[in-house]
Amino acid sequence: MPEITFLEALRQGLWEEMERDDRVFMLGEDIGAYGGAFKVTDGFQKKFGAARVIDTPISEAAIVGAAAGAAHMGMRPVAEMQFIDFISCAYDMLTNYVATARYRAGLSTPMVVRGPCGGYVRGGPFHSQNPEAAFFHTPGLKIVYPSTARDAKGLIKASIRDEDPVIYLEHKWLYRRIKETLPEGEEILTPIGQARIARDGKDLSIITYGATVWKALEAADQLAKEDGLSVEIVDLRTLLPLDDDAIMATVKKTNKVLIVHEDTRTGGLAGEIAARINEQAFEWLDGPIARVTAHDVPLPYAPTLEDFVLPQTEDIVKAARWLAGY
Amino acid sequence: MARIDVLMPQMGESIAEGTLSKWLKKLGDQVKRDEPLFEISTDKVDAEIPAPVAGTLAEIKVQEGQTVPVQTLVAVLETEQGAAVPASAPAPASPATKPEPVAAAAAPVPRPASLVPRPPSPVLPKGDGAETAEERLRRRSTPLVRKIASEHQLDISRIPGTGFAGRVTKQDILGFIERGVPAAPTPGTRPLAPAGPIQHPAAEPWPGDRVEPWSKIRRITADHMIMSRRVSAHVASFFEIDYSRVAQLRAAHKQSYADRGVNLTFLAFIAKACAETLRAHPVVNAAVSGDSTIYRRDVNIGIAVALDWGLIVPVIRHADELSLLGMARAINDLGERARTKKLSPDDIQRGTFTITNPGGFGPYAGIPIINQPQVAILGVGAIEKRPKVITGPEGGDAIAIRTMGMLTMSYDHRVVDGVDADRFLADVKKVLQEFPEGAV
Amino acid sequence: MPLHSVPDTRSETPALPAELERPQLLEIYRYLRLTRTLEERLVALYRQSKVIGGLFRSLGQEGESVASAYALDRGRHRDVLSPLIRNLGSMLVMGAKPIEILRQYMAKADSPTHGRELNVHFNDLERGYLGQISHLGDMVPVMAGITLTFKLRGEPRVGLVYVGDGATSTGTFHEGLNFAAVQHCPLVVIGEYNHWAYTTPPEKQFAVKDLADKAKGYGVHAVTVDGNDVIAVHTATKHAVERARRGKGVHFIEVKTYRRKGHAEHDDQSYQPKDEIERWARDNDPVDRFIKLLRENGWAEELELAEIDRAAKEEIDQATDACVNEPLPLPETALPGVYAHPEAAPRLWFRGL
Repeated sequence: MPEITFLEALRQGLWEEMERDDRVFMLGEDIGAYGGAFKVTDGFQKKFGAARVIDTPISEAAIVGAAAGAAHMGMRPVAEMQFIDFISCAYDMLTNYVATARYRAGLSTPMVVRGPCGGYVRGGPFHSQNPEAAFFHTPGLKIVYPSTARDAKGLIKASIRDEDPVIYLEHKWLYRRIKETLPEGEEILTPIGQARIARDGKDLSIITYGATVWKALEAADQLAKEDGLSVEIVDLRTLLPLDDDAIMATVKKTNKVLIVHEDTRTGGLAGEIAARINEQAFEWLDGPIARVTAHDVPLPYAPTLEDFVLPQTEDIVKAARWLAGY
Repeated sequence: MARIDVLMPQMGESIAEGTLSKWLKKLGDQVKRDEPLFEISTDKVDAEIPAPVAGTLAEIKVQEGQTVPVQTLVAVLETEQGAAVPASAPAPASPATKPEPVAAAAAPVPRPASLVPRPPSPVLPKGDGAETAEERLRRRSTPLVRKIASEHQLDISRIPGTGFAGRVTKQDILGFIERGVPAAPTPGTRPLAPAGPIQHPAAEPWPGDRVEPWSKIRRITADHMIMSRRVSAHVASFFEIDYSRVAQLRAAHKQSYADRGVNLTFLAFIAKACAETLRAHPVVNAAVSGDSTIYRRDVNIGIAVALDWGLIVPVIRHADELSLLGMARAINDLGERARTKKLSPDDIQRGTFTITNPGGFGPYAGIPIINQPQVAILGVGAIEKRPKVITGPEGGDAIAIRTMGMLTMSYDHRVVDGVDADRFLADVKKVLQEFPEGAV
Repeated sequence: MPLHSVPDTRSETPALPAELERPQLLEIYRYLRLTRTLEERLVALYRQSKVIGGLFRSLGQEGESVASAYALDRGRHRDVLSPLIRNLGSMLVMGAKPIEILRQYMAKADSPTHGRELNVHFNDLERGYLGQISHLGDMVPVMAGITLTFKLRGEPRVGLVYVGDGATSTGTFHEGLNFAAVQHCPLVVIGEYNHWAYTTPPEKQFAVKDLADKAKGYGVHAVTVDGNDVIAVHTATKHAVERARRGKGVHFIEVKTYRRKGHAEHDDQSYQPKDEIERWARDNDPVDRFIKLLRENGWAEELELAEIDRAAKEEIDQATDACVNEPLPLPETALPGVYAHPEAAPRLWFRGL
């Protein structure tokens, strides 16, 4: 079995769903002949035709709106945002129209909006964003954010099959850095709403998602080696709805929680996770719920600045060490 | 001679590695600035990589066909001039070596170097004034530790802490339980004061002296008084009371009380005034336990009774629920039973406030010692007619003969502040000086 | 793929270009050469891992960028333009210095944005340029607001904004253009029909033949010119700018041109027909055409042009040498400047451990 990248796993998942269900079609900027800015849909148009792999104008609002209309009619559209930073141009369609359709009008809108997100790549303020918090606050949407090749595949398939609109976030730093051996032809379906234990531990828990799962794993290795600490890592995988059971289980197990995300601090998901722990597992806490996040600034471009603003492995090590000693 | 690194470039945000597809120069070749050195191939694009400077190709680190991560050193050029220059991004600016440039144009972004970042915000909150955050942490630890402590009836303050600021961690308390360390007594039975016997210093008896070992009650009193002075921050406050109205009422009703078998004393009025007032001043009707204050639900007033063989403080339970008659009767009753040694153990427990009344013996005022673990004790001075300046209805001052007396209260400044004590006493004074006829 | 939409306006090259003297023609040439030389240097620096992030070329579009900006009233507090990534030439015309561009692309501490923003995303409103953000079309409404201010204050100033053919698909372009039209803002919009929005060709981007048709739909005066004819672009822009200055409202100039490099340097252009690129390079390079014009009309000597080329190269070499080894910004300078007050974002707690 060959090792495949995160990007290739995502590609396989899309491919399998396109083959399996002819209601599935894709639309986005430069996804057809070129195969997308990151080559996620490379070869799709050749195989499935221009009618099912549609190159669109630069019109995110129209892409999302058109996907919604097709979804109402029983199609299963997968819309690509070339960089997730441009999803803000479709914010109105997603939050006002798509998210409310079922509740407000009884309309089924099974669609996926996916795109590359995240920093650590010197992309500057408009090619590095993590937009989950903006949509996390919108009932009616689901948000998934895989960190492994397996989940990249399993979650795209589950998202396409889901009855509700799903925002699927792909960290571009993981695209070609993460490699995994996946059983060929295996029907991987990662359930939406279920977190994953990325590493078992007993001394403290790190709850995280996306690229920082890998930074947390690095930190955990270092803490095991240098401090003899046993760190549990929960990879949320789905951000909306949050897997409260998994979160509370790890809190009750280790009693100390560090929440790590690449998004900025204020209004970030860590705040909501901390509040839920407070509500549901307060009596199990043996230390303050701590956060390691990006600083509250737009993401700058220079490597020195970006590295300072974003959470790094060393930050997680230090914060975990502090919490362990609390 | 300077050596210049040539790296594998990152051509695209997601690109992690590149393949060296072809060398265009050989080792030892002379190259010009920006002249192509080698070709690379990545997931997105193929490109020729030019020489950053003119020089000689001195080292080849990556062979044709080899795939390496971006930013890997591929080759080294040697130049004739200049110092060694790393190909990677130079180190950040040092403020010392970088004077403010005179900008030809208005810089659109504020010059950040002049701003000194703030120190990190501490995670641990500030204390609330009464104690520091560290002290609070030592006492309260965390929700989990409190839960375990409560399940095992443990006192967190008795467990050695190894956590932040000496906090008792989960491991500390679980280890404590596992090692079988006996659980601390539950709050109801544990000693309410610092442990350890009190050593009373010895004194030399002179010829003709009589040495009498203490009775049990003397010993308890002695120890208790020393302990009280040791643990409480004693402060006293003095109020002068005009008992003229109480005296008048007492004179008017003494007989009717006597007819009901009750001696209506000044003390009954004073106890009644205190009982009524304590509920509005909970901090005076309280106890200290470790580093907590227990605000008592009940108002149980102890009345110190001097006996030939010592002091005893029987307690009037629920004193705030008694009428003046009931109060007077309770005082009579407890005093009588004390003198006849008929007090039950219950009669001397659960006091929440104490009154001591040596006034009958004539002292102008005294400073009593607090009856632990209570926080206040009221001493009643002699009540007698004294000259008093009073102001008439027209505003004229005159010296009048009034029934006067001092009330002194010792209170524990650990929990009772001066303002609490004086407000309480002022209210007691007001009740006594304006005692309602209907209440008698 | 057929090469369409190049209007036959080349024959219109005037014998004496309107309102341009010989020194001005040479100055335009200097900006063209400076743009191209600077970008070539940036490519080398990119491949040498000095340029950080992406690199975007304007090869083949230098003519319209330089010629349109050159029609503006330039100087402190005069006209204002908002460039796109392929309008480096327009920024140089407005007074941006090559060293600023170099520093910006290399994220140097002393770059105009001190390492916070990339490539040509920077401003100098005094010199008269306002950098774009990556979200296309957004600068149209912003420039509507800038020119609305000129109108409200009664200042005889004009704004100019560039949009690519792809950007005319965005909502902000349409909303901004309509707003400016309704408000009669003194705004000139340059619609760059460069045939490729990343990898998307015109027929996948819009169903009109000319971008000018879109502008006309909003009641905006619109023309289409040959974008690789420097004089034609300049003349059309000059005309539009003067009309806008006289209170005649929004003007739209569609420039037909061709993007000869990929969207960015990491783009292999596999979707662009090779012969199409070659044909534009061979027959329709704006710089070559301008040189030909200067020579054939006797407006410039061979030696004069060679001297300009040499000076441009020297200027870029000197600027590169001056800044290539400059330091990157200090990490903690990432924190100030999010708000006027407070002046710096807090450094997070874990950095103090």
